[in-house]
Amino acid sequence: TVVPVCHVLVDVVLTKARACDLKLPHCTVSTPVFMPVGTQGTMKGITVDQLDDLGCQICLGNTYHLGMRPGPELIEKANGLHGFMNWKRNLLTDSGGFQMVSLVELSEVTEEGVKFKSPYDGKEILLSPEQSIAIQNSLGSDIMMQLDDVVSSTVTGPRVEEATWRSIRWLDRCIAANKNPDRQNLFAIIQGGLNAELRKACLDEMTKRDVPGFAIGGLSGGEEKDDFWRMVTLSTDHLPREKPRYLMGVGYAVDLVVCVALGCDMFDCVFPTRTARFGSALVPWGSLTITKKQFAKDLQAIDPDCQCPTCRRHSRAYLHALFKSDTAAMHHITIHNISYQLTLMRSMRQSIIDGRFPDFVRTFMKRMFPSPEQYPGWAVDALGTVNITLN
Amino acid sequence: MLNSNFQKAVSIVAPLALRIIAECPVTKARACDLKLPHCTVSTPVFMPVGTQGTMKGITVDQLDDLGCQICLGNTYHLGMRPGPELIEKANGLHGFMNWKRNLLTDSGGFQMVSLVELSEVTEEGVKFKSPYDGKEILLSPEQSIAIQNSLGSDIMMQLDDVVSSTVTGPRVEEATWRSIRWLDRCIAANKNPDRQNLFAIIQGGLNTELRKACLDEMTKRDVPGFAIGGLSGGEEKDDFWRMVTLSTDHLPREKPRYLMGVGYAVDLVVCVALGCDMFDCVFPTRTARFGSALVPWGSLTITKKQFAKDLQAIDPDCQCPTCRRHSRAYLHALFKSDTAAMHHITIHNISYQLTLMRSMRQSIIDGLFPDFVRTFMKRMFPSPEQYPGWAVDALGTVNITLN
Repeated sequence: TVVPVCHVLVDVVLTKARACDLKLPHCTVSTPVFMPVGTQGTMKGITVDQLDDLGCQICLGNTYHLGMRPGPELIEKANGLHGFMNWKRNLLTDSGGFQMVSLVELSEVTEEGVKFKSPYDGKEILLSPEQSIAIQNSLGSDIMMQLDDVVSSTVTGPRVEEATWRSIRWLDRCIAANKNPDRQNLFAIIQGGLNAELRKACLDEMTKRDVPGFAIGGLSGGEEKDDFWRMVTLSTDHLPREKPRYLMGVGYAVDLVVCVALGCDMFDCVFPTRTARFGSALVPWGSLTITKKQFAKDLQAIDPDCQCPTCRRHSRAYLHALFKSDTAAMHHITIHNISYQLTLMRSMRQSIIDGRFPDFVRTFMKRMFPSPEQYPGWAVDALGTVNITLN
Repeated sequence: MLNSNFQKAVSIVAPLALRIIAECPVTKARACDLKLPHCTVSTPVFMPVGTQGTMKGITVDQLDDLGCQICLGNTYHLGMRPGPELIEKANGLHGFMNWKRNLLTDSGGFQMVSLVELSEVTEEGVKFKSPYDGKEILLSPEQSIAIQNSLGSDIMMQLDDVVSSTVTGPRVEEATWRSIRWLDRCIAANKNPDRQNLFAIIQGGLNTELRKACLDEMTKRDVPGFAIGGLSGGEEKDDFWRMVTLSTDHLPREKPRYLMGVGYAVDLVVCVALGCDMFDCVFPTRTARFGSALVPWGSLTITKKQFAKDLQAIDPDCQCPTCRRHSRAYLHALFKSDTAAMHHITIHNISYQLTLMRSMRQSIIDGLFPDFVRTFMKRMFPSPEQYPGWAVDALGTVNITLN
């Protein structure tokens, strides 16, 4: 089988951060990397052209919205999801499971798969591991996610254990169902909730399977940050060095920086695009809400140091005025926010390559928080475990 | 070949020069080069709105890429709030929007009428209750021009006493004469006649005598251009075209004619035949919001089931960014999940409008305009019985028979 070649360029001494070149079918991806969602349900989307112009090398394709409806046969006719979306670089598709859980009335999870009531005709649809992989095979994405038994991180008790072992069995069924192992990479998703023993058991089992990469799942669902980072670092401790680690659903700037330090390579999150919809622009010192009165007469760019198309062309005052009258403003802010995320990752990567990642982290934190007292406790703790002291 | 009237059309001081490139020998259509401070505009021209209230906007970059040479800047939304002092600091509306070509601004009056609770129209101006603090604001001719002077637009519109075309009676007459007096106040208030062009707006509603009187009076003023106003407000099409052609009959040949609020394809074609040069309308962008894409054979609603598996472009002959990249099926799927789809359709619709105008212009220059009209109508309507009666009548008066 052909696996994505993950060349670790630099490991940061004393931390767990790394910078890698991840060679995928459509192009090589520089990590650490943030993966924007190419199209999103109910959000102001950024177009594929704009993603391309921002230098995005991999983005998420939305299996449910674009794949399951209108359906994989049509997508195959359109030369896969790449052809359908007209995106020439890499695509990662989800299993279709999560969206169905969040958007559609859940009927039942059984060993077979996830049963849903179709919103169109009330019929029951079954999304099995085999079906999910068949859909993703038709989509032709570069990275496919296994179908996992998704349980919220705030759930405790036997359900978490059941879901963990079931996800391992479903992983095997996904591996067996993959028709295109030579050109599509199936990633496993580590489960175990916030239970260290369960997660360790899941890691032990899943790493026995020869998959090209691993996602750290079951987190970023509302759990305490103190628990969150412990599960992340436990996971990276037990994942192979030469395979990429994808931390699902993480996208706040502080979280990205800490989790890179803890050894993660790939991230995705709707936050930057969702928050843009409310006029919130991400900046190195936090965020600014463009609809606020204080920006009505401010002729600076959102971030005078930012090189994105929005900051090179438009002032805060213009965006403030535009926001009140035209949803194109959200569009400009979305572009800025994605650019912010991609630039943050690039800066981290470069600092790793240049051997000054710990300094980068310290400078980042200083800029983001008005004083050390305001550094989030969990972040200080987490960074402390990888030898970065924030002072 | 230089038009012998070129010298007459060039004004030494005015920041506008109209050069008539070709006149259709059959109809009243013309193709012109309209020289404005930021660049020359080829007419007939459709002017998109650069930003719009409550609509999916097209960005200035995208307008630029579509080859747009003049667009509308929204005085109320971008000018009155945050205010002209800020805009001046930002190097005018051009600087504020980052638009390098031409801008036409409205007087601020219409938007205030449609968006804000109207208090009162008096000879002074239009009094509005501010939605923010309930205070009364007065928009006078002088104030409107002062704002537009700060905005620095290439074309400014006079403040007119706006009356709906469906209103009849003495109010229409009052508004007509008041608009003439306000035109004079606007002319007097213009601080930058050397770089900003003030257009008059012909009123008179659907009343032939009143409109003729307005034309007679307003054409006595030496303004660089004229808009045909008081129409496109819900009146019968049979009345509409008669007022348009009456207006162009009495407007000077060497000055541009701007028909406000017209944008349906058929209306554009007919009104070009009747002698209009410039148009604006929210229709193409508004209809995009509902998934409606404009095409030479009408329109297609992308959300309809029939397009779910259709891998063609919206219009296989269209060269816009949307049609070159995306299929109907993709846009159909995207529409259900992502408002970016409206964006793609907006770009297509603007491109459609600009392309239609370019084709008309070229046909006029090539001496083929009547054929263009006939071909256009054939493509747009399944059979001659379905040609709109008013359009057949209107075109008949300029010697185009549709058969």
